[in-house]
Amino acid sequence: MNSSVESIVPFNQFIDSAQGDHQHGNRGDWLSEIKEKGRIEFYKLGWPSPKFESWRYTNLNKLAKTQFSLPQDMELAKLPYQDILPVDAPKIALVNGKFNRELSDLSTISEGVLVNNFHDMRDEQRALFSRKNPTALPKEGLPVKALNDAILSDVLFIEIMPGWQFDLPLHIVSIGCGDHVGFSSKIFVSAGENCHLDIVESHAGEYGSTYFSSCVSNIDIKAGARLGHYKLQNDTNTSTHLALTQTSIEANAVYDNFVMSVGGILSRNEVRSFIAASGVDCCVNGAYLGTSNQHIDNTTFIEHAAEGSKSREVYKGVLADYAKGVFQGKIFVHPEAQKTDGYQMNRALLLSDNAEIDSKPELEIYADDVRCSHGATVGELEEEHLFYLKARGINAESARRLLVEAYIGEVIDEIKSQSIREALSKLASDLLKKKLFERSNER
Amino acid sequence: MSILSIENLHANVGETEILRGINLKIEPGEVHAVMGPNGSGKSTLSYVLAGRDGYSVTGGSVEFKDKDLLELEADERANEGVFLAFQYPVEVPGVTGMTFLREAYNSRLRYEGKDEADAMEFLKLVRSKAKDLNMSDDMLKRPVNVGFSGGEKKRNEILQMAVLEPKLAILDETDSGLDIDALKLVADGVNALRTSERSMLIITHYQRLLDYIEPDHVHVLAHGQIQRSGGKELALELEANGYAEFDGKV
Repeated sequence: MNSSVESIVPFNQFIDSAQGDHQHGNRGDWLSEIKEKGRIEFYKLGWPSPKFESWRYTNLNKLAKTQFSLPQDMELAKLPYQDILPVDAPKIALVNGKFNRELSDLSTISEGVLVNNFHDMRDEQRALFSRKNPTALPKEGLPVKALNDAILSDVLFIEIMPGWQFDLPLHIVSIGCGDHVGFSSKIFVSAGENCHLDIVESHAGEYGSTYFSSCVSNIDIKAGARLGHYKLQNDTNTSTHLALTQTSIEANAVYDNFVMSVGGILSRNEVRSFIAASGVDCCVNGAYLGTSNQHIDNTTFIEHAAEGSKSREVYKGVLADYAKGVFQGKIFVHPEAQKTDGYQMNRALLLSDNAEIDSKPELEIYADDVRCSHGATVGELEEEHLFYLKARGINAESARRLLVEAYIGEVIDEIKSQSIREALSKLASDLLKKKLFERSNER
Repeated sequence: MSILSIENLHANVGETEILRGINLKIEPGEVHAVMGPNGSGKSTLSYVLAGRDGYSVTGGSVEFKDKDLLELEADERANEGVFLAFQYPVEVPGVTGMTFLREAYNSRLRYEGKDEADAMEFLKLVRSKAKDLNMSDDMLKRPVNVGFSGGEKKRNEILQMAVLEPKLAILDETDSGLDIDALKLVADGVNALRTSERSMLIITHYQRLLDYIEPDHVHVLAHGQIQRSGGKELALELEANGYAEFDGKV
């Protein structure tokens, strides 16, 4: 496709403006190359549109027509603590996608975890960029990944040394700030054999900011390792968040993924997990809460390529006003992946007649001795429940709040880490109150 | 002053008239039993009194302690002191028994303009009441009624009643689905809550429950009206003769 034609799209002008690099010296050449490749790939694939199978329910038309610009070096005085997960953990702060040392707190980080970024990138880390995607790709490719490369400005590497196990999580805080700025963040995680760490991501923005945030995480989990990966997407309500997480999981490893999507005008969180060996326990769970005219897309792909592994996926969402939710979940089982145990469930609670959920569960199974099940439900709050609570003196609004909180609470309970479960459940309760039940007070 | 005074109450479910002129007065401390065959309007009466949506009152009045009960929302009625023990207690996934009780208890305190209860004090109160009903801590930590047996669900209703201390308790078919041991346990719980102030309205098909919770007055409800009233001996008479006598009467 001719890039000059593509450039008529305002967003493409932004992509073009992101090319080249004058900040990073010789390394800048390498970065320029990554960006150029990403740009070419993105234009080749074309803007994701409902014509693409995996983008049928999420339309990026508005985004394509919006003009963004590269972030200037912003001074951010402090992190928006009320909008990020309250966990006691070392913090890695990214401001508009770039590592920010001043806002980070790495004082309590252990020697068993190595963290570095673009500036002190090693050769073998550089090579990670040319590794192929672990999962079988959709025929329309992964435009989010190409776009992420095309506007790349920094990379974060987290390496957990084999055998190291940590009680304290590691918290990545990604903050967007500015007016119509666009940025990408890229994270590589390598979890060594038999290690254990919980990684928490909080995505939020400075008050009043509008931004486009593209996040790509690439995660390698070696044999026997346990990695918790918990994400809160709480971006400002005018922002757009497009994320892709690709995980490759080795023998007897545990991957516990949870995504809570509450922010942004449009968000898409795609989680693609590749189960490469036996004895794996892979959990891909999430919750979403949409109000006003938010659009929240959760797309997942779990690929079983080896015998005797387990995957579990539970997504629950609450949609009010004109909010729209999308859930696409696919479990793919290779012929050799006998004795696979897969479970998938998507449930949505619609609190208004104008809210909408598009749910597309899919099983693609080529092995004959497997146990896979999936289900989806869409419902409203039940009159029976409401009346029972009211008959005990609880007023209609409190009853609704209690029931919605319980609904979301059930999926938060899937999180294996107790401290994060508690932090998220507290935050979810506050967010529900703020987004659903105390709106009239704000005006 | 009566606790409850129902006069010529008419109510519909959808287009169908179910209650066709009920009259009933309950004084403080009295236990009244309303008995009747299936479809006589017993459960409708309990839901109309508790304020469930979908039941429309088309005539008559209900006064509760001199207040117009029908003007109040279901939660306001509960906070005024009306308690309905459900025939089929509802399973509420995700809301633990303790949270449920605390919300209910504090709702009443707020309604009365008081401060919320101290969390530790309240926990102690609930635990001691639960112990009387042979309910474990575990049952309070679990979501309300989820996975409970029939007997456990009914005991849970009585626990809620014990904690909320209503002025009028309406027990809707509390004996249904209980074996004799469970029935005794529930009846003991109810009897322990009888005071000279607290009134009860026991709605039941069978006389069996009344062996354990002795009523002061018994009423026969059929075709949406109270057909006969008497003392506890009326219940025994019904047990012997059944409801055939009231069947053809409209």
